[in-house]
Amino acid sequence: MRHDIKIKKGLDIPLGGIPEREILDLRGVERYAVKPPDVVGFTPRLLVAEGDTVVAGQPLVQDKRDERLFLPSTVCGTVESIVRGEKRRLLEVVVCRNTQSNQNTPSTLTPEAPVWWMIKERPFGTIANPDHTPKGIYVSLRDTNPLAPDLDFALKGREQEFEAGVKALEAFAPVHLVKAEGPHPAGNIGTIVAALDPINKGEYVWSVNAQDVANIGRWCLTGEYKPERVIAVGGPAAKCPKYYRVICGACIQHISEAQMMDASYPRLSRETRVSRETRIISGSPLSGSTIADDGFLGMYDQQVCFIEEGDKYDFMGWLMPGIKKFSFSKTFLSGLLRPFKALEPMMPIKPTYSFNTNMHGSVRPFLFTGSFERVFPFDIYPLQLIKACIVGDVELQEKLGIYEVEPEDFALCEFIDPSKTEIQTIIREALEVLRKEAIS
Amino acid sequence: MNMKWLEDWFEKIEPKGKWAWLGSTYEAFHTFAFTPKTVTKSGSHIRDAVDMKRSIIIVVIALIPALLFGMWNIGYQHFLGVEGQTFDHTILECWWFGFLRMLPLIVVSYAVGLSIEFAFAQYRHHEVNEGYLATGLLIPMIVPVTTPLWQVALAVAFAVIIGKEVFGGSGMNFLNPALVARAFLFFAYPTHMSGDKVWIANDLWGSDAIAGATPMGELAAGSHPSASALDMLIGTIPGSTCETSVIAIALGAILLLMTGIASWRIMLSVFLGGGAMGLLFNAIGYNDYMQLPFYYHFLMGGFAFGAVFMATDPVTAAQTNSGKWIYGLLIGAFAVLLRVCNPAYPEGMMLSILFMNCMAPLIDHCVVSRNIKRRERRIGR
Repeated sequence: MRHDIKIKKGLDIPLGGIPEREILDLRGVERYAVKPPDVVGFTPRLLVAEGDTVVAGQPLVQDKRDERLFLPSTVCGTVESIVRGEKRRLLEVVVCRNTQSNQNTPSTLTPEAPVWWMIKERPFGTIANPDHTPKGIYVSLRDTNPLAPDLDFALKGREQEFEAGVKALEAFAPVHLVKAEGPHPAGNIGTIVAALDPINKGEYVWSVNAQDVANIGRWCLTGEYKPERVIAVGGPAAKCPKYYRVICGACIQHISEAQMMDASYPRLSRETRVSRETRIISGSPLSGSTIADDGFLGMYDQQVCFIEEGDKYDFMGWLMPGIKKFSFSKTFLSGLLRPFKALEPMMPIKPTYSFNTNMHGSVRPFLFTGSFERVFPFDIYPLQLIKACIVGDVELQEKLGIYEVEPEDFALCEFIDPSKTEIQTIIREALEVLRKEAIS
Repeated sequence: MNMKWLEDWFEKIEPKGKWAWLGSTYEAFHTFAFTPKTVTKSGSHIRDAVDMKRSIIIVVIALIPALLFGMWNIGYQHFLGVEGQTFDHTILECWWFGFLRMLPLIVVSYAVGLSIEFAFAQYRHHEVNEGYLATGLLIPMIVPVTTPLWQVALAVAFAVIIGKEVFGGSGMNFLNPALVARAFLFFAYPTHMSGDKVWIANDLWGSDAIAGATPMGELAAGSHPSASALDMLIGTIPGSTCETSVIAIALGAILLLMTGIASWRIMLSVFLGGGAMGLLFNAIGYNDYMQLPFYYHFLMGGFAFGAVFMATDPVTAAQTNSGKWIYGLLIGAFAVLLRVCNPAYPEGMMLSILFMNCMAPLIDHCVVSRNIKRRERRIGR
């Protein structure tokens, strides 16, 4: 079912470095990783050891709670390394490609298929539980995140696979293809579901990224597990923002070498990520994760963003006119001038925004009210829900609609918050408590 | 501007070891000079440029027109009272006199208030909150010019400790601290806060006053206000230090609304509520006060100042958008009701706002409950 919806509330952040509409093919990259921490609620059990030979689609890690769910290797090759973090937490399983995959025969979509992990479930954002009956499967046809890829452009030439993917998904629940007009977060699954048919307690909704629908389709048509995505690479600190065609979980070393302003930039290991000049974000700059310059794409990400680190002082930042500062509020000159965009050629100083990763202030209690509502297109009171999450009042959270949201839905609230509260973390922690309660 | 030397100096003097307990104070001054270089760690990697300091400073800037006019008016009223209509003093002389009268009030308010704020922040190992920068200027702006300094100091201490810090500091209080200070003065020292002999300073120092009634005082006494509506609009009337000029307040209101710092819903609805109540009394027309044209209520006393700077305090106002309408409408309505129907309190704005501060959580509760009911109905369907 195709829907066109219009969302009014929201904000498009004028982040520089919009990718050019030109796709570079990077499907030849050697190293790939599977990252269990990217998958909410996934307790990994390692199925391979370093040096093992694996084929594309072969499970690398399995969920301890539900053994049907696994994360497969995206390429054929050998397991190069298994990266663990604090408390031996499994961070990455790196596979080095050495052979091409062989063709298989057409298959049907089942929970045992290697593409199953691409289907996400709400509430909580876990992998779809095959035992649940979703009331719908939602696919957003427009990603509204800052610098996100244009999905129409990314899916050009894969129409047939996309169709096949939709058909395969329809076996489980009605599939809703939604094109949302309007500012971010119009294209977020949360916004779409809230606008069409909000989730109630005890209900489930599945969602699949549009590019992954094509990947599911490819698997169904040919039986070949070759999940590729066209990713948008951009950001104010990127040298030549472009689209790249990659296979999921690819190492971004080639991309960062091409995009970093300073070619001789010293390579840093994943552990010493601090004190570098450019931050590389896998996923949206509003909710993605930091990766090293030879790190790997996140499991569900379709963009990479290069942003200057903002670890610099700003003299009397709270008093200066701020022509270069972007703020949703109109407390800076740049904001007051925004309605007069037509007059810009006549202005002696033009508002051009510079973005970096600075917090632009210190953490404070919530003081100001009324701005979250303007970027939060849900029938939910955002501030009240956040406060219910802070105090851990589960009952109140349920009443206020916690099941309808994911942390990413609060990304803009977090962005505009003058109190600099870590809202997405607060929401994630609250959801985790509810999720653990639900499965125990 | 290269401020590297100052950056280095701050980093050099950072309190460590046995001085580490001074962290909050150091942090307050450091962040005053520089927006910190903290970078984002989780969640949104980019952040909006606005922070609490910026938001609060907009309120302070919005107060400046009313403050400057108030200073002039203090001098003007003084010379008018001492020398009569024929006085010859320039605008600057009037302003200078008012400036010298206001300065001690402002200094005492900031000194006492900020000391307490710093002490509490230090004690709690919190960062010092900017909220008092606005409150500390608001308090001297809404008291009679002849208020003794020790009373101001006491009121400020009461407002900051009992009105704010016992609840956990800025953002946790439920009463507007500036109005708590004024209410403290009003009930503790009524003779210094109302009547005819407090509004006009007799000389540069001390709390002697020249007799001169405010329009509200005259109305409460049963007579018609001697000042014209135009005088009240411009603000050349006796009254609390900086709240007489509706025009100067309007300038501040424009800045607050343009920057989006204050809620237009609250501001507009306070006037709508007051206007509606005024019109209702016009319709009843039982006595002279009731027959007073409704717009006089906007021009007299602290109505405009309260609507623009006090009712819109986001911490103590209703926090939901529909709640803000109800909150504002009732503030306006109650203020006019108190003025007309309660001769014991000539001015109703302060009590009306404080009362609605107490009611705001209840309003929000009702508004949010409707949202909850809607969600429950969805499940039931």
